[in-house]
Amino acid sequence: MGENAVAGNLVEFDHVKKSFGPNLVLDDINLNIRNGEAIVVAGPSGSGKSTMLRCINGLETIDSGDLRFDGKSVAKAGKAIYELRGDMGMVFQSFNLFPHKTVLQNITLGPTEVKGVSEKDSKERAVKLLERVGIPEKADSYPADLSGGQQQRVAIARALAMEPKLMLFDEPTSALDPEMIREVLDVMRDLAEEGMTMVVVTHEMGFAREVCDRIVFIDEGKIVEEGPPEEFFKNAQSQRAKDFVDKILHH
Amino acid sequence: MGELWEVLTRHFPEFRAGFLVTCTFVAVSFLIAMVVGTFVAALRVMPVRILQRIGTFYVETFRNIPLLVLLFLSFAGLRRAGIEIGRFTAGAGSLGLYTAAYVAEAIRSGVFAVGQGQIDASLSLGFTYPQTLRRVVLPQAVRTVIPPLGNLIIAMIKNSAIIGVALGLANDLLKTARIINSNTLQTTEVFFWAAVGYLLLTIPATFTVRYLEKKLAIKR
Repeated sequence: MGENAVAGNLVEFDHVKKSFGPNLVLDDINLNIRNGEAIVVAGPSGSGKSTMLRCINGLETIDSGDLRFDGKSVAKAGKAIYELRGDMGMVFQSFNLFPHKTVLQNITLGPTEVKGVSEKDSKERAVKLLERVGIPEKADSYPADLSGGQQQRVAIARALAMEPKLMLFDEPTSALDPEMIREVLDVMRDLAEEGMTMVVVTHEMGFAREVCDRIVFIDEGKIVEEGPPEEFFKNAQSQRAKDFVDKILHH
Repeated sequence: MGELWEVLTRHFPEFRAGFLVTCTFVAVSFLIAMVVGTFVAALRVMPVRILQRIGTFYVETFRNIPLLVLLFLSFAGLRRAGIEIGRFTAGAGSLGLYTAAYVAEAIRSGVFAVGQGQIDASLSLGFTYPQTLRRVVLPQAVRTVIPPLGNLIIAMIKNSAIIGVALGLANDLLKTARIINSNTLQTTEVFFWAAVGYLLLTIPATFTVRYLEKKLAIKR
């Protein structure tokens, strides 16, 4: 925990604004994410969810305001951003496994290259992580030999290998066939139950309802509503959130 | 047919010596082209404007000057300017640096063929840009650029023939053939064997490229 962290907050959005050209994608976002909290970011497509996530680890830069991770400004990190990213794991919609590396090498690459973990230790850890995500037998396969669900579980293991304080999930099940969504969500559920701090951009409202502590609903770059999932689904305050819930639950 | 064999057997030591000189040129130029080409490609894809400009400057300079002019400049030009440069260095250096410009372009296009998702994934692990290039992007780019690189290497082997002829920089295979020809006037036979000598280099290069292409192919 960095010195300046407000007690218990791992991520702090402080009046964050971000534009792509003339489009304001994040419009004065204020949000604190506590240690151990699992948050689902929901909202219509194009509402800024993914951008919000990518700003947290500096894959996108912000235009104004401040964004802190573990008490340190991501926006003003400069070269320290690489170190900060090493403490955040990210899982992508399209998996983005390294196709030229085996499953095991995908998982060991980060720890050995970035954190200086020995080859042997990182291998041991990778084997354990593969067991944890349920595919120890695939260690020596290449990503192309795996199903989408398996690839995404490897991607989660790859992120976890860095022993992150925070996990970012960018629509992790959107590219999956329906029968594979469950296996990925189960891994994420376990993580949340173990107390991992997570920010999940997803359309899986079942997952949101059962697993997350808080839903943040964004539309047109603004946080329209936030609260515990039960509250959100039963008793959304804003019309936009109500419409969204209606569409999701009754389609 | 008899004359063909006779020319080869009688002048075999010279042919062999010339062939070996050409081999050395090709080997050294190849090394220079790959190392410099990779480095320049890296400059061109770094997210730093000034580095990109330096890379672009290199490529445009060496790609847009004829090899023959480069050879004259590097040997005669530098000597006139008071810089002592050996024939071999001038020859292999020019050919290597010239080919490097094309290699850089081939690698650059291969790098851009590696998706942004790969770069995102790598950066999200905490890799710096150079680490991302070295560990994630280049290993994948190399596989897509092997076929174009193969073409460049074959062109380079053939371009090496210019070195010996220009300024008499070296007694390589072609230069040797010309010397033998001027002594024997058995033009057809002499240059037939010179052609065979170049084919001995280019055909294995072609097969190596095909082999590497198959071996390194990434399943998608």
